[in-house]
Amino acid sequence: MSMVVANGLTHRFGPELALDSVDLVLDTGEHMAVLGDNGAGKTTLLRVLATALRPTSGRLEIAGLDAFRERRRLRHYIGYVAHNPGLYPALSAAENLEFFCDLQDASRSRVAEVLETLGLTSVAHRRGNLLSRGMQQRLAIARAILHEPRLLIFDEPDASLDAEAAEVLGLVMKGRTAVIATHDHALANRLCPRTLVLRHGRSLGTATHLRVVR
Amino acid sequence: MNRLEKASVGAVALMLLAGAAIFFYAPTDFLQGPVQRIFYLHVSSAIAAYGCFAVVLLGGAIFLRTENYAADRWARAGALVGVVFTTVTLVMGMLWAKKVWGAFWVWDARLTSTLVLWIIYAGYLLVRRLSEPGRQAARLAAVVGIFGFVDVPVVHFSVTWWVTHHPGPVIINDALPAQMLATFLFTMFCTIVLAAVMITIRYRIETLMDMKQLIAGPVHVVITREPGGVAGPVQ
Amino acid sequence: MNPFRAAIAVARKDLVSEWRTREMVPALAQFVVLALLIGNFGFQIDSRNAPSIAPGILWLALVFAGLIAFGRTFAAEREQSSLEAMLMTPASPVAIFAGKAIAASVLLILCEVVLLPALSLFFGTPFSGDLVIAVLLATIGMASLGCLFAAIVARVRARELLLPLLTLPLWIPFIVAGGQAVQSAMGLPGSYDQAIGLLIDFDILFVVLTSLAARFVLDE
Repeated sequence: MSMVVANGLTHRFGPELALDSVDLVLDTGEHMAVLGDNGAGKTTLLRVLATALRPTSGRLEIAGLDAFRERRRLRHYIGYVAHNPGLYPALSAAENLEFFCDLQDASRSRVAEVLETLGLTSVAHRRGNLLSRGMQQRLAIARAILHEPRLLIFDEPDASLDAEAAEVLGLVMKGRTAVIATHDHALANRLCPRTLVLRHGRSLGTATHLRVVR
Repeated sequence: MNRLEKASVGAVALMLLAGAAIFFYAPTDFLQGPVQRIFYLHVSSAIAAYGCFAVVLLGGAIFLRTENYAADRWARAGALVGVVFTTVTLVMGMLWAKKVWGAFWVWDARLTSTLVLWIIYAGYLLVRRLSEPGRQAARLAAVVGIFGFVDVPVVHFSVTWWVTHHPGPVIINDALPAQMLATFLFTMFCTIVLAAVMITIRYRIETLMDMKQLIAGPVHVVITREPGGVAGPVQ
Repeated sequence: MNPFRAAIAVARKDLVSEWRTREMVPALAQFVVLALLIGNFGFQIDSRNAPSIAPGILWLALVFAGLIAFGRTFAAEREQSSLEAMLMTPASPVAIFAGKAIAASVLLILCEVVLLPALSLFFGTPFSGDLVIAVLLATIGMASLGCLFAAIVARVRARELLLPLLTLPLWIPFIVAGGQAVQSAMGLPGSYDQAIGLLIDFDILFVVLTSLAARFVLDE
């Protein structure tokens, strides 16, 4: 069954066209990378897929549910790491996660598990503003998997991750459907068999093992 | 002339008729003299303004419920025309107050709530102007419009309640003699017609402005994807 | 999904963050002190006119402090992306809104805890349970309205201008009824019970309305 079916996704910010009739289909368990220059529309597309943004027009189905009508229900299925993770600098890593556990109505035992998976146990009690950029990014990923979502949507997760980026991401993505926006072609190829390329909001198509010749 | 132009001419003609009625048909007030004639247009404007804000309320509520952008455009039109009529009401009220009580302003229930009305809907227009046009701006403005509409009677009530404890200058409402009443009702009718025509004109303008935004972008081609293999643009 | 758990979690998170960073406390403290100073040096206060002037100073201070406390709940840039992260959970927007309103109210109540006894101390006006109740009731309504409009203007430019413009007209009923209640509590003629009754009515009306409106304002 397809996890994500998108048809004609279009979004305008005022007169500006950010997404131009983008189609895509993602099967369960598939990993897809979204490539494109800055301003191509990657963040907008990912926000629409994560149901954080409602597009001006187009249809979106996730796990067989209409994404616009069943948004509340779909929150359980989706784990989203935004471009700007929005963590709380005054709270410790563990407190950040505990807070989101409360919002997700998830058990607090998940916090320790997830910290372990992302290699953050040693900094669990360090405040958000004292964490390095790489650790903040890991914490954002940790937060996204707290509720064991089936669909992961990551907006440039590698941008501030340290060297073990690919390993950590691969581990987290295993067994789940995932969409990653990235600049890094090598990373995209390693993690994701399929790639969708965006330019000026338009999809140039998807391919497997895309080789970009400049 | 198209229908809207004919309606505009009709509305203006009606207002001129009302003006004639005010100055030639209605009798001069015994106590206040000629200045009392402000009353007809002042109160009519106030009623028209409330009517406009009812349009804002309905348009906003319908938009929140159904996402129908036409409703949002009616709301926008209503807000602008409503602010115009509220300004007219306030200015006329102040001129009248100066002549009758010697002060431009008094904190009584009606003047206060009219001022509040003006501020709220000026705020509505600012919220629209200062946000990115689109669905979210329309939703935020709809909420402002709804709260504004609810707030005005609440403010009116609070200030009335306050005034009963703190007496100040009181507006005496005599029963209106028949000729004055007739003039007033006629003027009110004409003003409401004028407001309705103005809102409709503004609705057309808002529609055109929205359409202009959509046309601004380039014509594009839909590209379909191919499963597997190397994909390319397909026309 | 338990809305109370979410609301309490949000309120606690905001208060803990504020406690650790102490960003708002200096600004709020400034208003309290300023109000007292202006009251003393701006007016000729003696024991006879103190009950007439003190309520005005009280409301001035509360309105300005309120604008800051409620305005900041949604203001910070990073708060916007944090807000999105919260909205991406199954927690309902109303619960999140309630949590934020509660946290902002607590901060304003802390100001009141300082301001009310201080007014009594410096201006000699009576301090009573009646006074406290009146102020608390007004705070509830003002908080729900202030937070809702703060959330609205957070998405709009020129928010420092717009927040007072939109919020003050909605606060007028609370200032009128609350003003009367405070005056009565300080010994001036007027009906305390009627004023309190009005405050309760306004509270119910606006808390219900803001709760209903929250999901249109917070969610995309």
